[in-house]
Amino acid sequence: MLDDTSPGPPLGPTRLERPTPLDQAAWDDLVARFDGRMWAVARAFGLGPADAADAVQGAWLRLVESLDAIRDPDRIGSWLITTTKNEAARLSRSRTGSGSAVSDVPDDIPDLGAPDPAAAVVDADYGRHVWGRLDLLGEPCRSLLRLYALHPDARYTQIALRLDLPVGSIGPTRARCVSRLRALLEENVHDSPR
Amino acid sequence: MTAPADEYLLAALRIAAGADPVPGRVSADARAAFALRLPGGIAAAPMETTAMETTAMEKATGAGVRSTAYEEHGEPAAHRYAAAGLTIDVEPVVMAGRVDVAGQVSPAPGVESLVEVRTPRITAGRVPAEDGRFVVTGLPLGWISVVCHRPGHPPVFTRWLHVRP
Repeated sequence: MLDDTSPGPPLGPTRLERPTPLDQAAWDDLVARFDGRMWAVARAFGLGPADAADAVQGAWLRLVESLDAIRDPDRIGSWLITTTKNEAARLSRSRTGSGSAVSDVPDDIPDLGAPDPAAAVVDADYGRHVWGRLDLLGEPCRSLLRLYALHPDARYTQIALRLDLPVGSIGPTRARCVSRLRALLEENVHDSPR
Repeated sequence: MTAPADEYLLAALRIAAGADPVPGRVSADARAAFALRLPGGIAAAPMETTAMETTAMEKATGAGVRSTAYEEHGEPAAHRYAAAGLTIDVEPVVMAGRVDVAGQVSPAPGVESLVEVRTPRITAGRVPAEDGRFVVTGLPLGWISVVCHRPGHPPVFTRWLHVRP
């Protein structure tokens, strides 16, 4: 078992110090602004609470190790969302046995200067916009997507029972429903809040 | 704008509905992560590794054991990082719900150096052996990083590595 802990780096006075663009207060502000969105993204990959927590923490740790590379603080939010998505996707793949559990592949980490612009949709305003379009869907899509969105831990068997659909049809039906929702969002792209 | 991923749409829906808010401990861990930065430190990039004849854990313990991670995932659990003229080999093994980490810094950094195996909540320091090997046992599952402190040099740290069975 762990039998001791370090008092900290012993070589402090000799360490090279360079300005860090963030202090604890600015970091806390980042956490307040983005941790809910990062959590939602991790959970959207179907991760349970423990794995989702690891994915979110992994994204923050990636930021810690990349702090010296930050040139544009305005892009940190999108970068955090994108990095969470990558960590969550990797964990999801490792849980289903469809990919490597190794987390240190360089390609997993997005360029701090070019995060995924699509990550900007992960916020409440766009979510309300999506809810508005979702309500235009017919059944069973409307109910299925509502259940799926409002009950993150619901299993396909529970959704199937609730909607009186075969369990095996839930996955394909959900994919079709998301496709229809996307079509509605694209039809109204000019009405979108962004 | 490119089409958002399905997961982004679902996440936006849940945020707008207030469904599944982020747990307080996740936010607390996120705030605490700032203290893990190493200003002026040098990040060691991961390198390709080939299957080693003898794993770091085998060398460190003298035992002919393979890591459970190796057995479970069918791939070497050894990870190699390099920067600033240093190579850091890290081999985590999950034993009874805890993580044991064996590794080696090459070339050996000397007895005045310190190797730290860090998790987000616990840091264990070791003076490496003359050949640069080190072992830390009993760490919690999750994220780990190894830092090598040498007198007169900036610290060299590995990328954070996720360890969970």
